Parts: sequence; structure tokens; C-alpha cells
Amino acid sequence: MNYMPGTASLIDDIDKKHLVLLRDGRTLIGFLRSIDQFANLVFHQTVERIHVGKKFGDIPRGIFIVRGENVVLLGEIDMDKPCDTILQQVSIEEILEEQRLQQQAKQETEKAKVTALKDRGLSIPKADNLDEY
Amino acid sequence: MFRFQSLDEDCTLEEEEGGLVEEEDEIDQFNDDTFGAGAIDDDWQEEHKRLSGLEEHKINARGGAGSVTAGGAAGDASSVHLPPPAGHLPSPSSLPQSQHSSQPPPGLDEQGGGDLADALAMLILGTDPAIARACGPVGPGDRSRGLPAPSSLPQHLHPQQHPHQLPSGLPHPSLLSYQQHQHLLRQGAAPMPQMNSHNIWESNMGFGPVSISPGLVTHMEDNPLLSIIKEVGLPTRPPPMMSEDGRDLSERAPPPRSSSPVIGSPPVRAVPIGTPPKQPMNHAMNHHHQQQQIHHPTAIHIRAPVHHRYPPPFPERLSPNTLLNIANSPLCRPPFGPVLSQLQRAQMLNSQVAGFPRGCRGPPLLPGGGGFRPFFGQLPPHRMGPPPNHLACPVFRHNTTHLHPQHRRILTQRMQSRGEDRGGHMGDRRSRDPYSNLMTQREKEWVAKIQMMQLQSTDPYLDDYYYQNYFEKLEKKQERDRDSVRKEHTTKLITPQVAKLEHTYRPVQFAGSLGKLTVSSVNNPRKMIDAVVTSRVDDEEKREKQVWNKRRQILYTVEKMYSLLLEVQDFEKRFMQTPEEEQEALLEQHKTQTLQLYGSLREKEWDDRVSDDQCLLIMSVRKGKRLISRLLPFLPPPQAAAVVMGIARNLPTLAKKDRQDQELCCLVEPVITVVSSLSSTVLTDLLQELQGSDGQLPRVLQNKFGVTLLYLILSEGERMQSSDSNCQLMDDNRWTELVFSVTRELLNVAPSSLSPPFFTPPNLLSLFSRYVDRQRLEQLQEKLQISALSR
Repeated sequence: MNYMPGTASLIDDIDKKHLVLLRDGRTLIGFLRSIDQFANLVFHQTVERIHVGKKFGDIPRGIFIVRGENVVLLGEIDMDKPCDTILQQVSIEEILEEQRLQQQAKQETEKAKVTALKDRGLSIPKADNLDEY
Repeated sequence: MFRFQSLDEDCTLEEEEGGLVEEEDEIDQFNDDTFGAGAIDDDWQEEHKRLSGLEEHKINARGGAGSVTAGGAAGDASSVHLPPPAGHLPSPSSLPQSQHSSQPPPGLDEQGGGDLADALAMLILGTDPAIARACGPVGPGDRSRGLPAPSSLPQHLHPQQHPHQLPSGLPHPSLLSYQQHQHLLRQGAAPMPQMNSHNIWESNMGFGPVSISPGLVTHMEDNPLLSIIKEVGLPTRPPPMMSEDGRDLSERAPPPRSSSPVIGSPPVRAVPIGTPPKQPMNHAMNHHHQQQQIHHPTAIHIRAPVHHRYPPPFPERLSPNTLLNIANSPLCRPPFGPVLSQLQRAQMLNSQVAGFPRGCRGPPLLPGGGGFRPFFGQLPPHRMGPPPNHLACPVFRHNTTHLHPQHRRILTQRMQSRGEDRGGHMGDRRSRDPYSNLMTQREKEWVAKIQMMQLQSTDPYLDDYYYQNYFEKLEKKQERDRDSVRKEHTTKLITPQVAKLEHTYRPVQFAGSLGKLTVSSVNNPRKMIDAVVTSRVDDEEKREKQVWNKRRQILYTVEKMYSLLLEVQDFEKRFMQTPEEEQEALLEQHKTQTLQLYGSLREKEWDDRVSDDQCLLIMSVRKGKRLISRLLPFLPPPQAAAVVMGIARNLPTLAKKDRQDQELCCLVEPVITVVSSLSSTVLTDLLQELQGSDGQLPRVLQNKFGVTLLYLILSEGERMQSSDSNCQLMDDNRWTELVFSVTRELLNVAPSSLSPPFFTPPNLLSLFSRYVDRQRLEQLQEKLQISALSR
């Protein structure tokens, strides 16, 4: 299909299964149904896939509309290719639980780090405060 | 105030439906903006009845999704939650449908506000089917880590409701907390968006600044959503899903938009760039309308009338929308930059190149129309009547004029190979996908056009340098590799250049007004500064320049000499410091440097004499004088003598130049040294030089330095005479004559024009006494204020 030859365009990706990574870290998999000039995406039969370690869980989400600026990357999923990953699918509850644990662990380490630094009189500002720099 | 009344009346919906409508008319005039055109015109009740009837029917037909009685409203929802169908994907869309459908009818028909609010809350909260399914089987206990607030919220919602409602609210905490759980993970906060939306509606019932009486508050709380529905009307629901295939989806109509509210801005005619193409609803009605709408004027750009693409022939699943698109209208015109005739030419070219897929209706090309070729899939999106295997590789080129020819070739090759590979598969797959082509051909083209617009450039080498270079290199490489005979590949790159249309915009000028309107925009920026380059071609300018140049040159020379001089001066110090073996080298260096110094004083290479002009030039600069004074000790005697001669010769001019600086005094000391080492003949010459032409002496006498020099010379002569009895000074009469003339001059010159010297040598008197008689001697004595010396 010769839409926009020589350029990267999403038109040829329509109606194909894609995996998109968003800026907030979510991974969505779905059929790309519609686009626009800002790369806003409309996903159909979307599934949010949460990965924790070697396990993953899918949460069906239905129809998603993603604002273009929040997309980090997007790639087509080849349906023909055999899927021989070492990832193990688990149920939603389990993966959510795992995620929660992961988050908790991360927060604890972060907290420990911050207190350790504080004891030494240092402070590392969080990234979201650094907009003005 | 009438609004208050209307709300009061509106509370009990079942009773006064008629009254409701009347009030509604008055209100909606103002709310038209907010709620859109649909709010006024539709008789929502009819609409609602129709819809609810439909859905009830459907639900009853299902026969299992739960009874639609009052008490079962909440239980309904929960029961719907629990049996999740195993196959996920189409069903989530059906699940909310059933939820939607089940909630409002019971609320409205039977118990009224409370149930409705509750039901709608359920609707809003529990819409996430995944979560519903995930949490359904699991009790609320797991998720109790949610905030305590959620459990109180359902109570907050209906504080005065029947207590038996509460068990129905139990799923709420779990649902809520799950959602919050998710939010916590993501944002670290626990917003309650659904609850907030309720509150928004509660507080903003159009009463902004007006305070709300408590009685009304309860009413409002009871029926927040109810009143919304009264005012807004039910939103048009998508048609109920009868089956799982996508036919219904593609027939779905976009909601009616009010493009120009009565109150407020004037109707919008020009469609901005980002507007998607319209979906024509009804062919007969809109055709004319569309024609009008499409030919709206657009800002500056010239639009090539873009014709519609080829219709995909005989598609099985063609939505009415796409059908209509095919049938009639030319494309809406998304804005383009000024599209060139070259583009159109390219289109014509393409049309000759492209092959038409068979089985397709002939494309109605607009005459004189450029515009893009219709995009045609490698295979039509749906299976056509006769499966077209020969369509595997269409040679359609979509506007590749802007591409490098090499690039174009590669693309076509790629396309063909891809077409051959995938010809078989994709058609099948596509046909099995019920949701395909939600984005119509037209829309795809529209997006592509917008993106293409950005590729147009007036200077491809500037905008896309690496692209151009890459393909050029590729071409060359290919040539080299193949050693090709095909010379046509070395043709020059044809890049389309967007014609730069000069829009000279002249602002409106009123006759008889003073000055022009200051109108500036992006395309017509205001001229802030009238900067004009002027070059002065005066002669005077040139002369001044020359003078300056010369001065600069002199200064430059002086600087250079200074650096040399400093080296020479430092020689002694360095000599002491360097070890034995290097002293020779240092000595050599020193010699060369001094030579260089002399050399710089010479103007012409062949002449060994010190050039007067050069010296003079240097002396004309303040720094130069200092330079000479420092330089003199290092010069060998003849050179030094020559320099002093030169000075003497040109003393008047030097004196004149020196009037401001008075730097000649620095020369005194070295001159003393020089003069004292002069031989008699040289001395005589010097004196002669000093006297020079007629009238020089008086001028000399006017200058301090001159006088000093004179005295120096005389005293030196005297010293010579007195010390050495047979000195050669007296051999020729020059000296005597010169002295005589000096004496004469000294006597004649007016005292005022005789400047005092820097110092007076002591033996002058004795000199004069040799040559002049007593009377004159006394006169001289007076004049020159020479103290009488003992002989």
C-alpha cells in the first residue's frame, strides 16, 4: 500500500494488532483502528499487559483512545510468528498482586535510600520537580 | 427565580411531565450552548420511551440478564457482574450495554430518583468490565485496603434512602477500592473521579452564584442525574448490538454536532486544518449542502481540487457511509500548501503509469483536477466478487514526485515483492475481521494528505539534506557496481519545489488619513527598522582612510621593532643566566636581532644608510620617539650618527609634530651620548644639518630640544677644541663659519622666541669667547643666561 511512500506513516498499520508503550509505563495491545495526524490512536479489543518479572497478566480493556503525545513506541505484532517466550501468563489478580509487591518493594528501597541520604545531609530531588531546569 | 420554581416542580417527575416541558423551553434557550442542539428539539420523552422499550424488549428476550423490577435494580447489576462470559473480547462491549440498558428504565419508571442515582452510580463505577470480572468472584475483603472513604461514599450519595439499598452498595467499595488501588499505583493519590463527577453536577445546576437552600439541596441530591437527564435529554445510544459482527459498528452514526450556536460567535465557515472529513449522513439532503460547504474559502492557500478516490468495488460489508462517500461528493478539502502544476502533471503521469484494477468502476476523474491518486490497497479490504489475484501488484504511485527517483524505484520494487508475498493471506484475514475499515478510505487519505503537506519544501537540499545525499550516493554506487549502460539514471534530481507565491499584502489605506494602518500578521510582518546600507564614496573619506592606513602601518612597525628591542635589551640579563655552552648561541641570536633592528630602520635594502623617511615616520609617532631613544644606544656609531643627523635635519617638522606630545626630551640623553662620541667632521656636519636651510635655525631655536641639541653640539666642539689642541675641527673653516652664524643668529633672535634648553652645558661661554668680542659676549651671556664661568 503506497500511502506516503518513503515516510513512516501509521496508515498501513490500521486494523493490525499492535503493541504500544505509553509514557506512564503501561503496555497496551490491541487492534489499531484509527489514527490522526497527531498519532492519536484508537485501539480496539485492547488488553493491558502487566509484566512483573517473568510473569504477565492481561487485563481486557475494550476500546482505548490514546493521545498521541503519550506514546513512547508502537509496534506491530506479527500474528504469524510463533510465540515462544519464556514469559508465563498468570491471572489478573495474581499479576496485580505481584505488581503491588513490586511497587511496595521499590517504595521501600526508595524510602531507605532517601533516609540514608538525609542522614548524610544530602537530598536528591525527584524528577518531576525538575521541570524548570 | 423561575428556575427555582421549575426545579421544585420537576422533583416529582411522574406527576407533571407537561409542566416540565414548558419550563424546559424557557431554560434551554440559555443552555443551548452547553447542551447542544439536541437538547431543544428532541422530545426526549418520546425518545426515551422508544429506547427503553427497545431495550426492555431486548433484555426480556435475553431472559436471563435479570429482571427489570425496582428492587432488582441493584441486584440486577451485581448479577450481571457475576456470570462473565468466557470469551472476552466482543463481550465487554456488550456488557456495558446491558448495564446501560438495565439501569435507567427501572429508575425512571418506578421508584424515581434514588434508584436511578444508585443505578447510575453503579453504571459509572462498575463499567470497567475487566475489573468487574476480576473482582466479582472475589469478595470485598481483599480490597479493603482502599481508603475508608469509599465505603462511606455510597452512603453519602443517598443519605436518606432506604437502608436496604446499602447491601447493593457493597460491591461499590470493592470496585472503588480496586480502581483506587490502580490509581494509587499509578499516581500515588486516590482520586475518586466518579464521585467527583456527581458532585460537580450537584453543585453546578446552573445556579452558580445563587445560594442554595437546604431543601433544594436534598432534592438535588436525590435527583442529580435525573435533572440532568431532564435538561439534556438522553444521549443517543448506539444502536443495540444484535450480534457480534461489526456491521452495526460501521453503521453507527456520529452524534449530531451543533456547529454554530445561535448565541455567540458567527457561524464558522472556514474549516481549520485539523478537521476530519465529514461523514455525510444522507445523500439526498446533504449533497447540495456539502457542495456549498466544501467550497468555502480558505485562508491563503490554494487548494488543488482533490478528487475522490476509486471506490472499492462491490464490498460486502460496506457501510452506508462509505457508500455515500463513493456515490457522490468530491472530497472535502483539507488544506494544502500551494500545490503546483508540477504536482498535477505528476498526477497525470501517474495515471498513465498506474494500472486499474479490474472489476472496478472507472474512476471519475475531474477534469483539470490534480489531486492524489486514490489509495488502493494491494487487495481490497473486503473480498470482492471475483477474487482478484491479478491485483497483487498494482502499480499505483501515490504522488512520488517529491521522492528521489532512486527512492521511487526502490519503493516500487519493494511494493511489488511485498504484494506477491502477502497476496494470499491478508485478504482472508481482513475479511474475517469484522471491525476492519472503521477508518474509511477518505479519512486515511485525509491524514496522509496532512502529513504530505509537511513534506513540501521550497529547498529540498536545505530541508532534507541527508535524504538527498543518501540517494545520490546510492545511485552512484549502483552505477559503479553495474557499470551500467543506462545513462538515464544519472539524470539530475527532479525535486518538486513548492512555488513560492508572493503574497504582497497591502493593508487597507484610507484616503485622507494621516499615515497607514499598522497591520502586521504572521504572513505580513511589520517592518520595524529601515536599515539601508550606504557606502560613502567621498574623496575625503578615501584620504582619511589612507592616512589611517599609513598610521596603522607605522604603529605596526613600531610594535615590531619594540619587540626586537626588548629582546636586545634583555640580552645582558639572559647572557648572565645562560650556561657557557649556550652563550655562543645567545650571542649569535643577539647579533641577528640587532641587525634586524637596523634593518627595520632602513627603507631600501640596497642602501645601507638609515632611511630618513622611515625614521621620520617612526618619530612622528609618540611611541616611535621613545623607541628611537631606547634604540640609539644599541646602534653602532655610524648608524646612530645617521639617525641623529636625520633628526637634526628634520628638526623643525619633528618639532612641529611634537608640539602636543613633547616627547623629544626623551631623546636628549641618548643624543648626548651619541654626540659626545662623534668625530669632528661628523660634528661639523651635524651642526650644518642643524642649521640646514635658511630659516631653519630660528625654528630650531624655538624648540627646546633644538636649542639643547645646538648647545650640545657647540659644547662638544668646544670640548674638542679645548681638550685636544690639534683637533681637526679647525682644519676647515666650516666649523668657525657655522659657529659664527649661530652666534649671529643667537644675537639677532628675539628673546621670546628663544626657548630655554633642557640644560646648558658649561663650556659654552668659553666657546663663544673664542669667536666673539667682549660686547657680544656679554649680550650672549645675558640672552642665554649663561653664568659667567671662570676660564
